[in-house]
Amino acid sequence: MDPSLYLDRDTWVHRLDPRTKMFLLVGMFALPFVFLNPLYELAVLALVLLFGYLAQSLANLRRIWFILLTILIVTTILWSIVGSGRTPLFLFVEQEALLYGFSIALRIVITVIAGIIFLSTTRNEEVGIGLVRLGIPYRFAFAVSTALRLVPTVVATGLTIGQAQRSRGLDLESGNILRRIRNHLPLLVPVFVTTVRSTNVFSMALESKGFGARPRRTYFLRTAMTGRDALIIVGFAALLAGCIALRVAGYGGLEGFSR
Amino acid sequence: MKEVFTMWRHTQMVVLVALSAAIYAAVLIPFKGFPLVPGYIELRPANAFPIVFGLLFGPAGAWGAAIGNLIGDFFGTLSLGSLGGFVGNFFLALLPYKMWSVFFRRDENMEENVDSAKKFGVFILLTLLASAVCAVIIAWWVDVLAFFPFVVFFALVFFNNAVMGGVLGPILLLALYPRVKRWGLLWTEIVEPEDASSSRLQRTGAVLVWVGAIGAVVVGLILGLGQQAPGNLGVGLGLIPFLLVILVGSFMLGVREQVESVEESMAAESEESRT
Repeated sequence: MDPSLYLDRDTWVHRLDPRTKMFLLVGMFALPFVFLNPLYELAVLALVLLFGYLAQSLANLRRIWFILLTILIVTTILWSIVGSGRTPLFLFVEQEALLYGFSIALRIVITVIAGIIFLSTTRNEEVGIGLVRLGIPYRFAFAVSTALRLVPTVVATGLTIGQAQRSRGLDLESGNILRRIRNHLPLLVPVFVTTVRSTNVFSMALESKGFGARPRRTYFLRTAMTGRDALIIVGFAALLAGCIALRVAGYGGLEGFSR
Repeated sequence: MKEVFTMWRHTQMVVLVALSAAIYAAVLIPFKGFPLVPGYIELRPANAFPIVFGLLFGPAGAWGAAIGNLIGDFFGTLSLGSLGGFVGNFFLALLPYKMWSVFFRRDENMEENVDSAKKFGVFILLTLLASAVCAVIIAWWVDVLAFFPFVVFFALVFFNNAVMGGVLGPILLLALYPRVKRWGLLWTEIVEPEDASSSRLQRTGAVLVWVGAIGAVVVGLILGLGQQAPGNLGVGLGLIPFLLVILVGSFMLGVREQVESVEESMAAESEESRT
């Protein structure tokens, strides 16, 4: 099982500086919050999907299509029930509440897809170095990138322990959801113990290599903001500003919905 | 909160942050297949870990829980909502270790284990408190973003945290505490007393945290049930004072006395073993 989402492709998005990708991620998180009209949200979704297509990272959406679909359905239904509008549609559901629910569902889906594109195009090391370049303390960034790198190792440890326990008769697969969760519990302690046992050796290895010996560090992975990064940042900022101007001018809202 | 920042000086604590985050994320990810509300929240047995991490690794456990939850979101559901998850999980691990010593006298054994009825009771009480604070923070944030109504999300997160933490937490702690202690990895053994915040205002801080938590739950539920739909400024604005009270209370919860007490008991133990 490989939980990593990174896709090793040679696209211009992959080659962007990690800071630029982080800026784009924040921007793509902000963009769907500008509008309330589902048509405008659909346009934002199309834009984000186009970006994902150019980044060749839409393949990862296959891994979470069920989550996205259920977010769309659950959120739309929820808002249709708890919100109210002016135009009756069926039973107690009003048209504006349904549209609003669909809009909020699209908003969540867009932010999740933006996150997937970021993770599909950014390596763990780039996340770490990007955080440092943004002014986050190195030790914090190191902990984040190390944890990201260790997740597959811990998962693999869990699988190995699971196989060992299964060979001794532990049944992990049968029963209902609660039963299956309960079956997995005996794995928690050995996974924890196996992982945490290495703390002292890990710490000594780090310190023997000069971890924290000097305030300024050099990096094997070299990143630099280029003209293309600047162009992308300016372009996206202009797009965001344009969307906000559109909204202020009265476009992209939703009339008749009340909470 | 001093130790929350000074702990980054210790390489062992940095490693513990990374390892606890990796463990938390690794246990969270497989259970994404057991959803409570599909796409939003799933059954999370891993939620017993932040409380245990907090008690064993102190501030490193709190950072580990926050980062681990964020990484869990990295594998499928990273969105603006993740920010609330980061802060909520941080407090889920932070409060148990910060509040633990409030229940014990200095000359009492205050080892963060559940090997006595009193300690078990304290553990359950702190699990309920931390679960409520975590649930309030996350549910408030998703309500402000208009993703989901406060009341429903609060109930789901609180249930997840309290049940998993209350049932699995003591079992994990009983099994893990002796090992972690033997390896010298308890936060009270790594952090120096001068790195920890003073315990002078601890009781006031504890009262503020309780008042803030209970107030936030009660007012949040009243406002949430009244307004029904999320995104209403009622919950958004109404809970801010209580969240601030919790934050201020957390800053006042000093742990230096706890670190000194462990240091003294360790010194006494080594003296005993020498004689």
